[in-house]
Amino acid sequence: MKKITSYRERDRDLGIRMTPMIDVVFLLLVFFVWTASFHLVEDTLPTTLSAQLGQAENQPEELPPEIEFDEIVIRIFQQGPLVITLNGLPMADVGELEQRLQKIAEIQRGSIVILHPESNVPLGEIINVFDVAQLAGVEKVQFATDFGASP
Amino acid sequence: MQIPTLINRGRNGFNMTPMIDVVFLLIIFFLVASHLSDQETHVEVDLPTALSGQPQSGRDSNRITLHVPREKTVLIAGREVPFSGIFEKISELVAFHGADIELRIRGNRSVSWQTLSPILKACADAGVWNVTFAVYGRDP
Repeated sequence: MKKITSYRERDRDLGIRMTPMIDVVFLLLVFFVWTASFHLVEDTLPTTLSAQLGQAENQPEELPPEIEFDEIVIRIFQQGPLVITLNGLPMADVGELEQRLQKIAEIQRGSIVILHPESNVPLGEIINVFDVAQLAGVEKVQFATDFGASP
Repeated sequence: MQIPTLINRGRNGFNMTPMIDVVFLLIIFFLVASHLSDQETHVEVDLPTALSGQPQSGRDSNRITLHVPREKTVLIAGREVPFSGIFEKISELVAFHGADIELRIRGNRSVSWQTLSPILKACADAGVWNVTFAVYGRDP
């Protein structure tokens, strides 16, 4: 007849008890797999609104009359390729805009830039220009909303 | 599973393994439950990219997220709101939470200004000035 071994003897034979360890290891594994985020981290871009510009039908060369001298207006047009104007002056690309804004920010502290995009410009391009203005060191970038714009 | 005996208990003192088991199970349960409730209001949106974005602040009790996944489509707290009734909805939120709410816009990068401009105007009209855009720090 086979000798019935006590728990104490069996423990001594195996050394470490594996089952609870595997239990806990699996729980830890599930915990870390679940908490690992596969989503991209989202950042926040704070904005300020400025409801002072009129309808968007104005030509890029014509500045709206209510704009003061120290206000800088960037307009974005999507007529095939993207056209960006800085106070009516067309920019070759976003890099040129950044350089000019950097110079402005150096000369004029606390300058306000107003972003006034055309209605068909996608958000991606608007945020890109907004981002460039902030990176250039402009303290305040505002969005202009049209008085006529209503849902 | 090994049944603890009086001999084992006498030798090891208090057996921690089942307690850790149960505690971890509870942690995972609550974690999954909270994660699923978050996902309920999560809308798949291709966000624009910006380098000057800031990390989200931890205090989000006053934050209301507005999703714009397509043209003329707005979802507030996961529910679609008629495009013409955005001002009324934001005014409702202001009346309930106060004007110092943060309105976070999660807009698709292809959505045009035609759709976003009325939303921003509705925010300004309703007295909400703390409007933020959700962006990716780098291209996905």
